[in-house]
Order: sequence, then structure tokens, then C-alpha cells
Amino acid sequence: MSKSRIKTRTRCALVAFLLVSPSLWAQNASPSDAATIAQLVEQIKQLQQQDLDLLERIKILEAKQPHTSPVEAATTSPPAETQSAEPTPPPQLPSATPHDWHLVQGIQLRGFGEVDFKVLNQRQPELGTYGFVPGSAGNFYTGDFGLFLTSRLSNKTSILSEIIFEEGDAQTYKVDLRRMLLKYDYNDHLKLSVGRYQTDIGYYNWAFRSAAWLQTTAERPLVMEYATNGGLLPTQAIGVSVSGAIPSGKLGLNYVAEYGSSDTIRPNINGDGLLTDENNGNQTNIGLFVRPDELRGLQIGSSYYHDQISNNILNALSGAPVPPPPGSLGSSARYGQTIVNAYVVYVAHGIEFLNEGFVIRQALIGGSLHFDTPAFYSQFSKQLGPVRPFFRFQYVNAPANSNSILNDVGLRFGPSFGVRYDLNEYMAFKAELDHTVRRDEPDLNGLQLQWAFTF
Amino acid sequence: MGVYLLKLGESLGVKSIATLLLLGLAILPLAPRATAQAEDVAVVVSSGNPATNISLGDLRKFFAGAKRYWPSGQSIKLITRGPGCPERLVMLRLLEMSESEYKHYWITQVFRGEADSEPLIVPSIGMQREALNVFPGGISLVNIRDVKPGMKVIKVDNVLPSAVGYPLH
Repeated sequence: MSKSRIKTRTRCALVAFLLVSPSLWAQNASPSDAATIAQLVEQIKQLQQQDLDLLERIKILEAKQPHTSPVEAATTSPPAETQSAEPTPPPQLPSATPHDWHLVQGIQLRGFGEVDFKVLNQRQPELGTYGFVPGSAGNFYTGDFGLFLTSRLSNKTSILSEIIFEEGDAQTYKVDLRRMLLKYDYNDHLKLSVGRYQTDIGYYNWAFRSAAWLQTTAERPLVMEYATNGGLLPTQAIGVSVSGAIPSGKLGLNYVAEYGSSDTIRPNINGDGLLTDENNGNQTNIGLFVRPDELRGLQIGSSYYHDQISNNILNALSGAPVPPPPGSLGSSARYGQTIVNAYVVYVAHGIEFLNEGFVIRQALIGGSLHFDTPAFYSQFSKQLGPVRPFFRFQYVNAPANSNSILNDVGLRFGPSFGVRYDLNEYMAFKAELDHTVRRDEPDLNGLQLQWAFTF
Repeated sequence: MGVYLLKLGESLGVKSIATLLLLGLAILPLAPRATAQAEDVAVVVSSGNPATNISLGDLRKFFAGAKRYWPSGQSIKLITRGPGCPERLVMLRLLEMSESEYKHYWITQVFRGEADSEPLIVPSIGMQREALNVFPGGISLVNIRDVKPGMKVIKVDNVLPSAVGYPLH
């Protein structure tokens, strides 16, 4: 017998022993072992049943859920319309929704600030704003420092607030809750806000709000200045604002409607040390604008504003009422104030071209006396790398009549030009030269340097 | 190498070399096209989002924040990759903006009250997928080769990625 045959037979015997031995062991097992085996078999059967149950449940859940396989879902889906509107499946979204939007989103905080240096060749000091000392040889001031907070409360509800620390006379600061809005967006066509808002009269107010960093220029046009700094428009109110898109295809028509209460106290800008407390009634503002798809960056709009105001003159320092000048109707007279605005702006491809016009009509209630104040500004700038040179021309012509609430403004017009240099994405330096022609007053020349930033 | 080319020129003749060069130039435009098709960028949404198609115009409005809600009523959550990523470059081309213009634009949008927050930036594809799971109205751009389970690819102007006429690459 050869060695190889012996080896083969030995292996076969070993395999046969290994195969047969368990059955022999089972046959020789004691009654207690048999019971254990039976118990184990029963457990295996139970586990198999549980496994089948789980598989069945998975099938049911899969049948209930929408298709999740990414590419397959897209390939197998029927060809849809070119718009994203999907007619069929209900908005049944997965259960992976965050439990608390507040936790997921948190509070979004952003800050805006500015440091300015301004020189004006004023012989007769006018109103000083944002800490600028009128008539001086030039001084530094900090303007507005704003904290902007937003937070989502639910899928459609959010909070927006803007807290401003504004420098006043003698480096004092006042806190102004410039915006505080509880917002509810039903969809793109209906967005509701309640709280303190900045009126959407015109484009500038909506586009730049109160952040100097967002503006190309260092100074706002006079007509768009905040009323508390001598601006001509009622810039703030507490009330309700509704806005949204109107289905209009490629025209991109949008609307805004505001109804609220405001109480504007406006300092006279001619430096006479007086304030006008307008005691406004409730205000209504309605606006429409289009953003055509075909020409991205173009926005054309118009708005109509109405409220009632008085001409209460107060002393700026004491707050005490000042007797009206002889021949004036005094504080008991009420005026209906109507502001009509229209604008055409183009902001794209580094070009900014803003054109906005206003007519402010203040008409005596119960009389024929009325005052019209036309105003406009036109601003052009072009981004050239980090540099953006700009040019602006502005014009305001308020009647000089003592009954006119804007008689301190008079006629003012002139050009401004300068440059904005973006040091990086969060800091900008601006230099602006202004020339203002005034009725019956010497012309004004000014230089303003501004470091504006966001964080 | 130069010596080798000279020898090759001598053996083949100048005309042959010129013909080869012309052939090469003719083939050249085909090569980048093939690469571009391979690098199509898919529009992905949460797996539970019923949308299957989006027009390029709407996609632009979504990423510009001009549209903030899906037709189903779910709020849109923009999920983007960080600066320098190919998907972000595609998005910037779509919006016709530079990186700095895009940042300025979104700060402005939020401050105007036109958006609650700036788009979410995620550093990885895995986090993109996670974000799409967390935000049911999420939408993002992903290189087609990086699409993961849990991301639902939707058509753009009725065209799927890698198909002829797909606009995002």
C-alpha cells in the first residue's frame, strides 16, 4: 500500500468520524439534554417568526413612504412642467424634520457700524446729525452702530430686530429699536409682518435700510434721510405690513401694503434749534414694483403714501412748544400728507444706477392751502475691482411759506461724487465730496470720510 | 525630446506632421466636452420633497432668495458648499455673481428682511446629505458623481444630469 493511499484513507476516516459523531452524540444524549435541545429549537422558531414579522413591517413602511432612491426617482418620474410646480404628491415630507427650528437655526446676529470724519464750510451752522458738530472745522463721529438679529420660530414664522446705538450731541448715545417685526410667511405671495417697521416708501429705504456698509455713498440723499435726522419722509411706523409676489410670469410683479401708526418728530435742518412734532395719524402705504426676468437687475416701482400731520413747533433743547410765527395757522391746523414716489433702478454686473423721484403734498384739511415739495436723486456707480467710484445728483424744493412743514429745507440741490474702496468683504472706506446750492444761502461744500463695516 | 521630434519630422515629412497637428486641433474641442459632461452638477433635494423638475429660471430665483417657498408650501433651505468648490462655482455662474458680490448680496438680503438667514454652508458631501435630511425644504448642488442615497436628483428644464442639454456643469 502506498503512502499516498494510506493518507487518503486516513483523511476519509477522519471526515466520516466528524460527520457521524454529532448524531451519535445526539442519540446517546440524556433526557435532560433532549429537553434543552427542544427548548433551543423553539427559541429558533420564535426568532424566525419575529424576523418574518419585521420584514413584513418594513414592507408596509416602504409602501407608505415616497420613493427615496435619488437618481431613480428622477428618471422614473413623469416629465413635469417647466415650472417647479408639482401637481400630484401631497406635501408629505419626511419625519426627519428638526424638532425645534430655534435649536437648529439659533439666533442669527449681524452688526453694522461706521466711523466718520466730516468737514463742512458752514458759516451759519445747520443741524448736526449723528454726532457731527455743525459749523466746526471738522470732526469725527460714529454715526449708527446697529445690531441686527433674526431667528426662526417655526417653518413660516420668524423674528427680526434691529437695535441702533446712535450718536447724538456731546458724544451721547441713544438706543433706538429701529425695527422689530414678527413675520409670518404664508408663501411667496403673502408675507405678513407686525411690529415696528421702516416704511417702504421708495427704493432706498427698502434697499439700504440703515446700514452705511450697504450704501455705496457715505451719506444718504437728503430726501431719504431718517426723519429724526431731518429727512423729509416718515420713515418709521408701528403696524402691519403685507407683501409678496403677484403671479405675473416673467414680469415679476410684487406688491407691498402697510398700515400703521407713526409719530414723527423732525428737527429743522436750517439750524434754528426747533423741532416739528407732526402728530401723525395712522398711515397707509401701497407700493408696486416689477423685476423682469428678461433684464435681471432692473427694478421699476411706485408707491403711494397718505397720513395726516400737524405743524407743532417745539424747542429742540427744552421740548417746550414755541409760539407759531405771525400769520401761521398754528398747531391746530391739520394737513393731509400724500407722498407719491416712482423709481427706476438697475443693479447688476457691477453697475448701480438709481433714479428716484418724489412729490410730497401737504394739503390743509378743510381749506385749499397746499404745499408741494418735489424731490429726486440720481446715483450712478460702477465696481472696478475693489474700487467703486460714484456720482449722485440730488434736488429738493420745499416751499418757503411759514405754514409749510418743510419750510426749513427750502431749495437744495447739487452733486456728490466720490469713491468706495472695499478693503475686504466686510470693510469699506468711502470718500465723498458734496456741493449743495441753497436758496438765499451760500453754497455748501463738504468732505466726508467713512469707514463702514459689518461683522 | 527636440532631437526625437526632429528625427520624427525627417522620417514622416513636414506635411505629415502638419496633418497630425491639424487632426489634433480638430479633436481638441471634443475632449473638454466629454469632461464637462462627466462633471455635470445635479440639483438635489430632500428625499421626501415631491418636486421632480425645476426650471433654470426658478433655480436662479431659489439660489438668489427671490423665491422662498416650494409649491408644496415648504420653506426653501439653501445648502451650499464653501468657496472654491466646483458646485459653488456653478452656483455663482448661475447667479452671474462673483464670490464677494454673492456675500454682499446675501448680507443685504438678510438685512432687508428678504431672507431669514444666509444660505447654509457645509464643508462635505456627507454633511450636505445630512442637511438635506434635517431640512425638508433643502436644495443643494452636487457633482453627479457624488450623489448619495438620501439625495433626490431633480431635473432642470426637464433634463437629467449627464443627458444632452443639461445646463449645469
